[in-house]
Amino acid sequence: MDRRAAFFLVAALVSAALIPVSVGFGWVAATVSVVYLVLALGSWLDARSHRRF
Amino acid sequence: MDFAVIFVIAVALSFDYVNGFHDAANSIATVVSTRVLTPRIAVVWAAFFNFVAFLVFGTAVASTIANDVVVQSVLSIGVVFAGLIGAIAWDLITFWLGLPTSSSHALVGGIAGAAVAKAGFGVLITEGLRKIGVFIVLSPLIGLAVGMLITLAIYWVFHRNRNIERLNRGFRRGQLVSAAAFSLGHGANDAQKTMGVILALLIASGHLAPGSSTPLWVVLCAHTAIALGTLTGGWRIVKTMGSKITRLQPVGGVAAESGAAITLFATSIGGIPVSTTHTITGGIVGVGAARRLSAVRWGVAGRVVWAWVLTIPGAFAVAWLTMQAVDLLS
Repeated sequence: MDRRAAFFLVAALVSAALIPVSVGFGWVAATVSVVYLVLALGSWLDARSHRRF
Repeated sequence: MDFAVIFVIAVALSFDYVNGFHDAANSIATVVSTRVLTPRIAVVWAAFFNFVAFLVFGTAVASTIANDVVVQSVLSIGVVFAGLIGAIAWDLITFWLGLPTSSSHALVGGIAGAAVAKAGFGVLITEGLRKIGVFIVLSPLIGLAVGMLITLAIYWVFHRNRNIERLNRGFRRGQLVSAAAFSLGHGANDAQKTMGVILALLIASGHLAPGSSTPLWVVLCAHTAIALGTLTGGWRIVKTMGSKITRLQPVGGVAAESGAAITLFATSIGGIPVSTTHTITGGIVGVGAARRLSAVRWGVAGRVVWAWVLTIPGAFAVAWLTMQAVDLLS
């Protein structure tokens, strides 16, 4: 797996793990988690397209 | 106002001054490293925006430090003094050992440690500490994501522009705005931590009623102290900062500072104390990661993680010991 995608996936998981403890600010942790999931997906697709061409 | 209160206020303002002295490098590193401003003019620029931050932001962070870390009934002149000494001593110890640290987290750990030494763990406000703890982790991640998204947006908008020279000139001017915005966020979030400590002290010593808002003279003193720190100290350590994490072009400087500034504005308005150092580190890593992951010096990013783990327990322990000594002496 692409290293950058792996890093973003870990960041998404860390942010998601903080949702239950972020009383009143759970939406912030959830939003950050979703953003990092999208970045992980984008990075993975980017690395995949570079490998193909 | 008695001598003890004035003395502890002076210690708090010294802490604020050192914060400005040390963190100025974060505000101006990118404008100096990309040669948009000379170090001397850059520190004046940063100090000015540090100072005027009180006109833009409220005092929500100060209120969090004063009311949401420990229960107010346990606060006394001795507790606030021991907490400050814990934070300052921890900063000096880690500086001497070359370990990463955050003055903001040290302050929270110090106040918590001194209060626990006086009255046990029951005085800690878990909800407030949880909020601070969550944002210790989230703020660099938000700075990183916003810095990276701004970088990608800039690349996407300008990728057809072949006049690189003209583009760089434009972003060099843009850095003046982004550096000002970051300094504004730095002044807002960091000066308010000192305001919170002084507010807690004034309530503890009976000069203000519990739940009072921060007096204007406290706001002005805290912003003056951080601005003076920035003015006198920043340029000495700025030279090594700009290329420490990843090599920056003006476009990267704009993205990193804007990402960090947005994070600091949002957390300052939300009343959440965060580390400005960690936030700008996140922003700079985001700019590097937008190019490729190997453009980032991960050792520096790893040091931020160590700071998460070490700072609060470390300052807590030093403040706990200081409080024991204060109790013995009094």
